Amino acid sequence: MAPGEPGAGLAVRGLTARAGAFELAPADLDVAPGRVLALLGPSGSGKTTLLHAIAGLIPARSGTIALAGRDLTALPPERRRLGVVFQRPALFPHLSVAGNVRFGPRARGRAAAAPGDLLQRLGIAHLAGRSPRSLSGGESQRVALARALAVNPAMLLLDEPLSALDLPAREDLRSVIQGVLAGLAIPVIYVTHDRDEALSLGDDVAILAGGAIRQAGPAEEVLARPAHPAAARLLGWRDLGSGTVRAGAITVGSLTLTVPEGTPDGPAEVFYRPEEVTVRAFDPGAHAPGPAATFAARVERIVPTAPLAQVHLAGPVRVTALLLRREMAGPPLRPGGQAWVTLGALRAVPSGGPGGAARGRPP
Amino acid sequence: MTSDERPRALPGGAFGALLWLLGGLLLAFIIVPVARLASAVPPETVARAAAAAQVRDATLLSLQDAAITAVIATVLGVPLGYLLARGGFRGRGVVAAVVDLPLAVPHTVAGIALLFTFGRTGWIGAPAARLGVSFYGSQWGIVTAMLFVSAPFAVNSARIAFEGIDPLLGGAARTLGATPWHAFRRVTLPLAARGVLTGAVLAYARSISEFGAVVILAYYPVTAPVEIYNLFLSANLTQSAAAAVVLLLVAMATFLVLRTLASGRLLARAGDGAG
Repeated sequence: MAPGEPGAGLAVRGLTARAGAFELAPADLDVAPGRVLALLGPSGSGKTTLLHAIAGLIPARSGTIALAGRDLTALPPERRRLGVVFQRPALFPHLSVAGNVRFGPRARGRAAAAPGDLLQRLGIAHLAGRSPRSLSGGESQRVALARALAVNPAMLLLDEPLSALDLPAREDLRSVIQGVLAGLAIPVIYVTHDRDEALSLGDDVAILAGGAIRQAGPAEEVLARPAHPAAARLLGWRDLGSGTVRAGAITVGSLTLTVPEGTPDGPAEVFYRPEEVTVRAFDPGAHAPGPAATFAARVERIVPTAPLAQVHLAGPVRVTALLLRREMAGPPLRPGGQAWVTLGALRAVPSGGPGGAARGRPP
Repeated sequence: MTSDERPRALPGGAFGALLWLLGGLLLAFIIVPVARLASAVPPETVARAAAAAQVRDATLLSLQDAAITAVIATVLGVPLGYLLARGGFRGRGVVAAVVDLPLAVPHTVAGIALLFTFGRTGWIGAPAARLGVSFYGSQWGIVTAMLFVSAPFAVNSARIAFEGIDPLLGGAARTLGATPWHAFRRVTLPLAARGVLTGAVLAYARSISEFGAVVILAYYPVTAPVEIYNLFLSANLTQSAAAAVVLLLVAMATFLVLRTLASGRLLARAGDGAG
């Protein structure tokens, strides 16, 4: 998946775990040192279960976890040399901020270095003497990050550290995390349900849905070529409809579309990118880039969201276009009016995705 | 949000008045007999009773054995409270019911059951006697009877305290390199300390007030409640009331001091140094 020496990073093979009634399908993951794997999945997809299994907080039912060639599978969490940041900061409320950061080094029997440098780097040096009870959500997560880094972990796991924060605090902490991750030479797994977080922080992306890893690879690659409907949806592709691919074409509704080269024949779901849909108030005729993907439609509704407005269109298929406000400044689009729609990027994904067990490694 | 920031406004109007009326009735029901007892005996009679060797020895014995019992109940009760709070083990409901059993058993019944077990021919009493330890009519017997009736308080207070702690804190400590014991000692136990100490104080209070189980298993040496009962039977009401006031004052004073310590800010501060 990622460049780097084989065996130098984190290698997860066939890992299964159970949390309550939820069971994780065998998962394979590779994260090279210095790479960030964004584990992207919707709520309830098993992200936290997988992360806790890697951390040793819940037992692996089968499979192996190795870090730099060392088998961690049977080791208790305290011997895995991890740093973990949880969704809730989970700071120790009876210790000060500095006490929290010193906890790890002390527990490992090392003389606790003054946590000053680390706190400085994360912009929280002024909080050292404070009680966690008095901190804001963003401050708490910075302390949690400092606490995880204070043990010089051999691998860092972050479980949706931004999800409980409001928007300004989230953007703030995201850039702090980005800076910290850029300076680390260890494997990092960043769990999130947020596409923007995954794409801005992850070098690689693994898609987890329904308890199984559906696709994994370099972020750009997975974004451009989702191989599973869940991957397509999570990365912002929208459903156009389903049909059967035959000789490089698929018919969805009454629309026949040319599919990208190499799409195998068989039942498939077609996805488009709403921000790559072009909407014109006139017939582009021969100027349209892909004639097969241009059709007339009626504007149903315009939702004036910012920075991109949503234009809902009904033609041979239903389409939602995301348009910059200035793209709508020309000949006006209005509800009930006629428009010509050109679908940009298209992707036909075999229905149900590639069969078999979950996979995290590209072939 | 900490507990101190929760809205604390009391309901007003007719509903508020009703709450105060019913709550006040119960409060009066507790206070009036206690105040009546205290006022029934002239202070010099109380002083004389406190000076009497029999009453003094009995009161000191009660204090000592209740304190020993509170320590034992806490040492044995905290692990069980933790298991009940954390463990998703089979039969957890049964274990919780067993812990509560002494609350439901009349204490004379508990005394007889203990006598069968710890008495001179009992399952534990007989082998213990061969080793020179007698529960029947000894301080061991008093502590045994007190422990039986007070254990639920120590276990349940600890359990409630542990249940209030986010299990993720222990998990976070483990990922930072703490062994299960280190995580318990440095994180979970300090956070549960208030509840654990409250349990110890309740166990102490329950022990010092125990009569039924103690009088059956260990009539001698005489504890304060047994001495008061003896005086009630053999002397007059005033004499037994004087001894009762002595025990009341001692028990209330120690209870209030311990309770304040257990719930005080002192403890919250003490935790800050740990880690």
